[in-house]
Amino acid sequence: MGAAYETIHFKAEACDGCNDCMTACAMAKTQTEEHLHSRIQIVPSGEGFELAICRQCGDPKCVLNCPAAALSKNAGSGVVDWDGSKCVNCLLCTVGCAYGGIAYDSIASHVIKCDMCEGAPACVQACTPGALKHITTARIYNEAGKLEDLFAPGLSGCQGCNTELIMRHALRRIGPDVVVATPPGCIPGMGSVGYNGLTGTKVPVFHPLLTNTASMLAGVRRQYKRAGRDVLAVALAGDGGTADVGFQSLSGAAERGEEILYICVDNEGYMNTGMQRSGCTPYGAWTSTTPVGERAHGKTQDAKNLPLLMVMHNCDFVATASTAFMEDLYDKLDRAIVAAKTGFAYLHIYSPCTTGWRFPSDQNVEVARKAVETNFVLLWEFNPADGLQFTHPVENARPIDEYLEVLGKYRHLDPDQVAHIERSLANNLARIRGFAAAEGTASAEAGRA
Amino acid sequence: MSAVLKPKSKLIVCDGNEAAAWAVSLANVDMVAVYPITPQSSLVEYLAKFIADGRLSSEIVDVEGEHSVLSVLQGACLAGARTYTASCGPGLAFMFEPYLRTPGLRLPLVMTIVTRDTLTPQSVWGGHQDAMSVREVGWVQMYCESVQEVLDTTIMAYRIAEHHDVMLPVNICHDGNYLSFGAARCELPDQGEVNEFLGEKDVNWHVALDPQRPMAVDPLTGGAGGPGPSTFVRYRKGQCSGMQNSLKVITEVHEDWGRRFGRHHAPLIESYRMDGADYAMVTIGSMTGAAKDAVDEARARGEKVGLLKVKTYRPFPAEAFATALSDVKAFGVVDRSVSFGWNCGPLFQDAITAMQYAPRRIPAMSFIGGLAGADLTVSHFERVIGRVKELARDGHAAETVWLNEKD
Repeated sequence: MGAAYETIHFKAEACDGCNDCMTACAMAKTQTEEHLHSRIQIVPSGEGFELAICRQCGDPKCVLNCPAAALSKNAGSGVVDWDGSKCVNCLLCTVGCAYGGIAYDSIASHVIKCDMCEGAPACVQACTPGALKHITTARIYNEAGKLEDLFAPGLSGCQGCNTELIMRHALRRIGPDVVVATPPGCIPGMGSVGYNGLTGTKVPVFHPLLTNTASMLAGVRRQYKRAGRDVLAVALAGDGGTADVGFQSLSGAAERGEEILYICVDNEGYMNTGMQRSGCTPYGAWTSTTPVGERAHGKTQDAKNLPLLMVMHNCDFVATASTAFMEDLYDKLDRAIVAAKTGFAYLHIYSPCTTGWRFPSDQNVEVARKAVETNFVLLWEFNPADGLQFTHPVENARPIDEYLEVLGKYRHLDPDQVAHIERSLANNLARIRGFAAAEGTASAEAGRA
Repeated sequence: MSAVLKPKSKLIVCDGNEAAAWAVSLANVDMVAVYPITPQSSLVEYLAKFIADGRLSSEIVDVEGEHSVLSVLQGACLAGARTYTASCGPGLAFMFEPYLRTPGLRLPLVMTIVTRDTLTPQSVWGGHQDAMSVREVGWVQMYCESVQEVLDTTIMAYRIAEHHDVMLPVNICHDGNYLSFGAARCELPDQGEVNEFLGEKDVNWHVALDPQRPMAVDPLTGGAGGPGPSTFVRYRKGQCSGMQNSLKVITEVHEDWGRRFGRHHAPLIESYRMDGADYAMVTIGSMTGAAKDAVDEARARGEKVGLLKVKTYRPFPAEAFATALSDVKAFGVVDRSVSFGWNCGPLFQDAITAMQYAPRRIPAMSFIGGLAGADLTVSHFERVIGRVKELARDGHAAETVWLNEKD
């Protein structure tokens, strides 16, 4: 398997031409503010700006053109390295590059190019408008791609199942020294625990009751800790078993700080048993127990905010995540794994359900993305020291219609119901923002004290 | 019981709840999960104190309810822990979901039921209704008569539960109020000798959640048309075998206990003054003491009455029971609970079912007493003896007699 590489992404519409990136680059590389030394160049173009910088190409023409072997693609970092001791100043590399990524510095009298500042580009840090972004998603591929998928192939999830994606990613990252609990729901329903003596999982796995996932895992973890063995206790549970009938054991385990990684895969209802309503089903949604007819038009209550309830338990780590933002999900998974070795870690992952929500099975990630871009789903994380922080704040949310209209379960909504959803989302956003601001203030005050 | 103290034993005065806590301490339990409930609460407090004092090295998990009590212990046991808990009444009802599952998982959990009558009417007092209500689920149930028997049986329960031919959870039932709070002389056996008696702990050789032995625990068995139902039947039959095997194991373990510690408790049923008895009373639990006194007094008057105490109630020692009663002309069964729908006591039902093994039909009557903490005194048993004597004479069984109705 090959490697994937990091790069710098340019969002042209956000660039205001301040040139701080060029100053930062020149300072980083030559300790001067001379823009001629900058490896990144912002170039006015019509009304806006264009970017000239090395893209660290996979098949770099500059390397191909160099007659002196002064340029080479670093297989480890992915950076195109320039070796001044070999360079003959022929400038053939500059002819090869279509991006203006390597150019002659007339003061230094040799070519210069971006070297990615060893993974922390100075230009990105200096960019206040947020036009430059260090894209590091490739690390998921590089770090997790080689890890073993600990579920067997051929689980019987629905076509395009988001939950299966979450399970496979999560366990791949967690590794084999684990005991997995999956209470009744889609996850064991697709054969992960097994059927008629065959199992779909390569690590110890069991069906707790729908009601006792957290407490059974607490017993497992405590006994291994007593025996001096570090075995991670992981729950892969649906929202119904977590928010409704399993909530007491969850709350108790969280309050006691049991060392568990509890992953709630939220598909907003009891999807495995035929799409019945749960406490996490949103207002207005059709389910088989909140049907649409002449008198009834879907669920009449809002979903309970389960991750926020877990924040109120002061867990060591709480986060929300979405499969449309995998890097964010992986970061949170990593922190949750660490947190679960000393306390309760709760990860709430939204999992659009192609079967139960009624949308085409190829639009899974797209639906998940729209949920975040409309602020239907907010991505944040919490720990007791730093409080609650947004990890992917969406300032200019897209209209909620863009999310609702792609889902069959909302097809019946009337304008009043849409208005209710808009109000609920606004309230939720304000509430979470309030927590983020309050926690930030408290942490800052604690820091001053 | 021996009156001579074993050299290494220690003598204390304690109630049944403390005796159970001492037994847990001596049995080297790894994991205790508890939720306090009357009349079990002081047992939990003794355990917490023993742990705080460093006398008991087990971990104690103060969970948020009885449902999680058994859930924590199931998880811990699957990871290799020897476990303990105690509950009763409403708590037992609340833990019913994991309780129901424990025998099927073949987990050797040990749990005391400090018996209590069930709601409603509201009551926090002793009675066997809680334990009797879960009698068909697959746990072994043993009922104790004395504080000493509570201590001894609790230790023995681990060897019974963890025996490879059994591998089932065990309830030790001791009467709320009468045994839970009644203080008595109690011999504490020596730790080293208990260790030798119990041997190496081996609780999850057959099923485990362990990355070093990865397996799926309890995957779904399919329905009709595939191999699922026959697999299910094999598991059910295995569970029944474990239950029946336990009769022999309970007997052997009690005999070994008697040899090592000098206290010979009847393992399944105890025959008291049954030699030449024309009629008999059947009792269970702490009421037996007063009943034995009543038998002694009746014998002193020359009446040919004996007593049969049921210690092991599940599995029901049917053959031994029938054999012990085969020569009487009538018997009465005193229950501390009710079997709704049969209008009698549950032990009475078991008794008449077991009597199919007797060579002839023997008239029997059901007595219900001691509900909601009511005292069953010698005079109550004199009434029972009197009524059973009539039954032996005329063979006419009356409706169930409620002993405390007019106290």
